[in-house]
Order: sequence, then structure tokens, then C-alpha cells
Amino acid sequence: MPLPPRDFSTIGPKEGQRFPDVRLRDQKGGLVDLHEYRAGRPALVVFYRSAEW
Amino acid sequence: MNGIALVAISYDSVEVLRNFAAAHGITYPLLSDEGSLAMRGLGLINDRVQEDHAVYGIQPNARHVNLPYPGAFLLDRDGLVTHKRFYESYRERDTGTGLIAQTLGIIDEPSAPVVAASSPVTVRAWLDSPTYVFFQRLMLTVEVSIDSGFCVCADPPRDGVTPLSIAIEPLGGLEVNPARWPAARRVARPGFHDGLWVHEGVVRGTVPLTFAAAPGGGDHLVGVTVRYQACDGASCLLPSSIQLRVPVREAALIGRSLPTPVSKT
Repeated sequence: MPLPPRDFSTIGPKEGQRFPDVRLRDQKGGLVDLHEYRAGRPALVVFYRSAEW
Repeated sequence: MNGIALVAISYDSVEVLRNFAAAHGITYPLLSDEGSLAMRGLGLINDRVQEDHAVYGIQPNARHVNLPYPGAFLLDRDGLVTHKRFYESYRERDTGTGLIAQTLGIIDEPSAPVVAASSPVTVRAWLDSPTYVFFQRLMLTVEVSIDSGFCVCADPPRDGVTPLSIAIEPLGGLEVNPARWPAARRVARPGFHDGLWVHEGVVRGTVPLTFAAAPGGGDHLVGVTVRYQACDGASCLLPSSIQLRVPVREAALIGRSLPTPVSKT
């Protein structure tokens, strides 16, 4: 039985919207602010399930 | 990478990310959203993972809780979302460069594309990454250079002419998606009352390939056949083809455990 198709345009920040502020620790333990880190550059923000499995 | 900042976010702890980054030589930020609060705030958590997995016969598992939908956002210089791309499946992934190539139209050319020629056409082909891992999607780019004074026929096809096309030799576990070409140009031609669609100059086609074979699939030579029919101002030559073999190596899955397939009952 196939899954019902999902409308991904309604999931998460929408196209044309400013991506919300995100501040999280990176692999070195320091806090990284997404927009500060971009420093005016375009950015690719990737969400994935896990680095562990 | 093309002046684009790259960050990746998951629910892993800083320690897990530190080990992963060290094992793979990753220098861009891997952000730790332990507990998935940021991802939940962004509305990206897939609360239907368990029921979706049940459809596929996958057993409930504590680590499937608080998972985001797998995907990516492309932001412009002002931080506005210009593209988003999500997948239902957690196994199928784009390469970072493949994703950027698709969303921005930027193609990173590796240092050594494979080249073959048969006048008046030269074909160069390359993958956006020289290596693949299990279930990774790579972009194959096929660049067709047509000598000046010639064109090649394009879709939509006309009776008796062969449009430009790419065929990929079947390979165990290799999933081939439809090729994409830029728009063709319609030219007036005697014998074709509504004209003939053609490409001229340099035209790049792209074919997304997913390496879905089990780990240990090994290194491959991806067989690429480009079929075309070239015409000059007066007449068309016979249909012809150019074949190339594009090498790709299997990268080791360092420090990664793979999901155990669960058979459906």
C-alpha cells in the first residue's frame, strides 16, 4: 500500500520567507548562529536523520 | 563551494557529530539539535514516521522519534528561502553539489571529464562526485558540443529524425531518472511544415542516478550512449551515437551502521 502523497510546500519555512534564526552547537561544541555564520552568503541548510545510523 | 555556506542539522549529540566529522574530514558545521526542539520549532518533525514505517513493515524504534523530514533549504544572501526540497525516504539523498547544481543551475565540473567525439559532435560526461555511497543520488552531466554550422535534432521528434537522447547501460541497483535538456529552438526546414526543433552550440543534459545496490557494490564504469542526428544548413546526416564510460568509485561508509532490512510479512 503506497503512502499518501505529502505536500512538502506546507512543511517548514516557506519559499520567500526569511529562514528563522537558529543557534545550535556544532561538532566543536561552540554555538553557531546560522545567519551570522552565513555572513551575507547564500546558504544550503540540510536536515538529515542522523550521523549515527 | 561556490561561495555558499553549508550547514547540516540533525538530532545527534555534539559528541556523535565530532566523531562523524573527524571520520569523514567534514569541516562545515554539523549542528546538534539534541531533543529536536529547533527542528520542531521549524515545523520539520515527521510525527508520522512510526505509522509510515509500519506501512513498510519496519519495527517501531525509539530513534525514529523526533526525526525531521529529510531535505534541504537554499537561502539567498538575505536569508530568504529560495528553494526547498524534501524526501519521504531517509535513504535517498542528493550530494551537496548535486543539490546546488539542481537548485542554482551551477554545475561543478570535475577535473577529468570523459570525452569522445565523432565530427561534428563532441561529448563530455562527468558525475558531480567521483565517489558514491549506498543509496546516494549523483548527477550525471552530459555536455554535447556541436560544431558551428551544424545543429542536432531535439524533442519533440519529427518523422524520420532522431532526437538527441541519453541512454544509460543497465547496472545492478542503478536507478536512472529521466534526462533533462535545456529548451530547444525551432527552425524552419523544407519538408517539416511546422519546423524542426534543434540544439546548437553547447548543450548540457543532466541525468540523476541513484546507486541503490547493496553496500559493497564496488567501483563501476557507467556506460553512457548519446544518440543524435546532426544537420547542416542543407541536409541531415545519418543518425549516429557516441559512447562513453564514466568511472565512479564506491566510497567506504566509515563509522556508519546501515539499517538492517526488515522483510515484509
